Amino acid sequence: MTETSRSGIPLKPFYAAADRSAAPAEEAPGAYPFTRGRLRPASAGAGWIHRELSGEGDARRSNQQLRYLIGLGQSGVDVIGDAPTQSMMDADHPLVAHSVGTQGVSLCLESDHVALLEGIAIDRISVSSSVPALFSLSGLLAAAGQTGVAADRLRGSVIQAPLYVGDAAYSCGMPVALMSRISVDTIEYCARHLPRFHGYVEDTYFFSESGLDAVEEMALGFVQIRHLVRAVMARGVAVDAFAPRIAILVNCSMDFFEEIAKIRATRRLFARMMREEFGASDPRALSCVITSHTSGLTLTAQQPINNVVRGTVQGLALALAGVQAMEISAFDEGLRTPSEEAHLVALRTQQILAAETGVTKVADPLGGSHFIESLTDEMERRIRAKIDEIEAKGDAVALAEAGYFRRLFEEAAERHVKAIAEGRNRVVGVNQHQVPPEEDKLLRDVAERKIAPCRERIDELKRFRKARGGDGLRRSLRAVHATAKERTANLLPSVREAFAAGASMGEIAGALRLAYDTPYDPHGALSAPF
Amino acid sequence: MAPPRIVIGLFGIDQHEVGAIAVARLLRDAGMEVIYAGRYQTPAKLVRLIEDEDADVVGISCHSWEYLDYAPELIKALAASGLDCPLILGGSVITPADAEAMRGAGVAAVFGPDAMPEGIVRDIRALAEARQNRRHPS
Repeated sequence: MTETSRSGIPLKPFYAAADRSAAPAEEAPGAYPFTRGRLRPASAGAGWIHRELSGEGDARRSNQQLRYLIGLGQSGVDVIGDAPTQSMMDADHPLVAHSVGTQGVSLCLESDHVALLEGIAIDRISVSSSVPALFSLSGLLAAAGQTGVAADRLRGSVIQAPLYVGDAAYSCGMPVALMSRISVDTIEYCARHLPRFHGYVEDTYFFSESGLDAVEEMALGFVQIRHLVRAVMARGVAVDAFAPRIAILVNCSMDFFEEIAKIRATRRLFARMMREEFGASDPRALSCVITSHTSGLTLTAQQPINNVVRGTVQGLALALAGVQAMEISAFDEGLRTPSEEAHLVALRTQQILAAETGVTKVADPLGGSHFIESLTDEMERRIRAKIDEIEAKGDAVALAEAGYFRRLFEEAAERHVKAIAEGRNRVVGVNQHQVPPEEDKLLRDVAERKIAPCRERIDELKRFRKARGGDGLRRSLRAVHATAKERTANLLPSVREAFAAGASMGEIAGALRLAYDTPYDPHGALSAPF
Repeated sequence: MAPPRIVIGLFGIDQHEVGAIAVARLLRDAGMEVIYAGRYQTPAKLVRLIEDEDADVVGISCHSWEYLDYAPELIKALAASGLDCPLILGGSVITPADAEAMRGAGVAAVFGPDAMPEGIVRDIRALAEARQNRRHPS
């Protein structure tokens, strides 16, 4: 029987020079097409930004969490909102009462974002956020404004996947065209005002957690990037002005070599695509920043301590692939967003990899391996073919609206579950080397500890709404609505103003929905306040 | 016996739909009629759907902790409406201790992370057949 990689690439028992698809070009890290890394070897030893996914309860509690991690040596912060926040719903929406602050931080108001970042040196610490882009960016700018940090000093990123997020993760009840426009607006705005900030991080992590393989993950990622690049260029922004601020957040599953090859192939594909198809010439526009999360889907609720090992192996693959930032999914991932203990272990794993193994000393240490180079070529070929296959089906927004991607995610999920149930995908503790639940004790108590819903947020928010002024608020929401009606205007200025005037995320999102002829509240429980 | 009719959904804004979709397909492949309610379900919406569809079993996929509040609420709402429809829960977030508490609150079965497809199909079929027998004793 022929062995295959996770994406189904047939594997040989060993590789030789003849297995390379072309004569290997002499290529150096930091030079086009950046297969071997985006940085010159002189700076390759810088390692990567260490950060761990954070957020629970309200902003103040999450601020403590961020300070705790920075105190442990974390060099960036990585914020996830709770399910309502990720869905652009406020804590006092009737559907969300039991979920406020349990799977991330509840951020409804501009003041929440400011409180989240209080005392954090945002001129030095890179702030990466999965919170919906308009709000994480407006919130960060508000925090910067209050602490006197100029926008052009802000570092960090907003993580987005406008075409897929509703099908693969959190739906915001918005048409895909609006989600896509929000991404275009953030890219354009950041290109003009936040030169050090990544206004668009293509999040292939989140949607590939449905069970997509590595080829599908990157093909869908590139389809989305290509769609947005065309749209931003159509706004009249030069590709060299914004492409350097696009980054990709990749997943890393357990197929060690394929994941490394995937990242190398991704850098090469990005460089070629930007130069040959979109006419970029600035080297920074061609060399893609790769940030990364180790796969939560590969982690198990059974024998949670085994997840520490999985995180280490995946983290090593990412380090060898030369990523710019890393998050190791914590050992309690199968059950919750990370606990303090799980955060500590995940961060220490990164620190051990960086400090003790020497992996940062030499760039692209696997470059030149017959196997890695062959696999990189094959990944590039397959990802490219998949991009072409999808793009041949039509416009990406139309495909998303028609449910094409949703079907891909569903099929992937089914395939994943079946492969484990049938034992084709071997998972220790799940379909082999199981132990009975009564013997499965190690770290279980920590992993099973729960976070209670932060119900006091609900009353707090209701009190805030009663106390705030009405006229300026309504005017600002009407301005958001009017700006959204003009399809090529940038939403950021009016959203920032409304946020500053005391409008909540849910209200602003509702104004945007109305401008796109969709209900103010997708769940039909609230009516527009303007 | 008529094919079992199963409502499958998720509570509140739990949106991790992978498990729900996989189970829905599994049950459909096993010959059951699945009414896929999907995301954003509340006890009130589910009660209406269960009544309209004459469902034999309602299954909720849990990937957040919302079920801890919603499951007992649903059981109460079903009882208040005089509906006989066992509730089952599935999902890796359900710990053994919480599974025990849920069964104590009247949940008919809980499928944790180690549940295997054959077991899920067998248990749901048994619950559905028992419910059909209660409605139409042969």
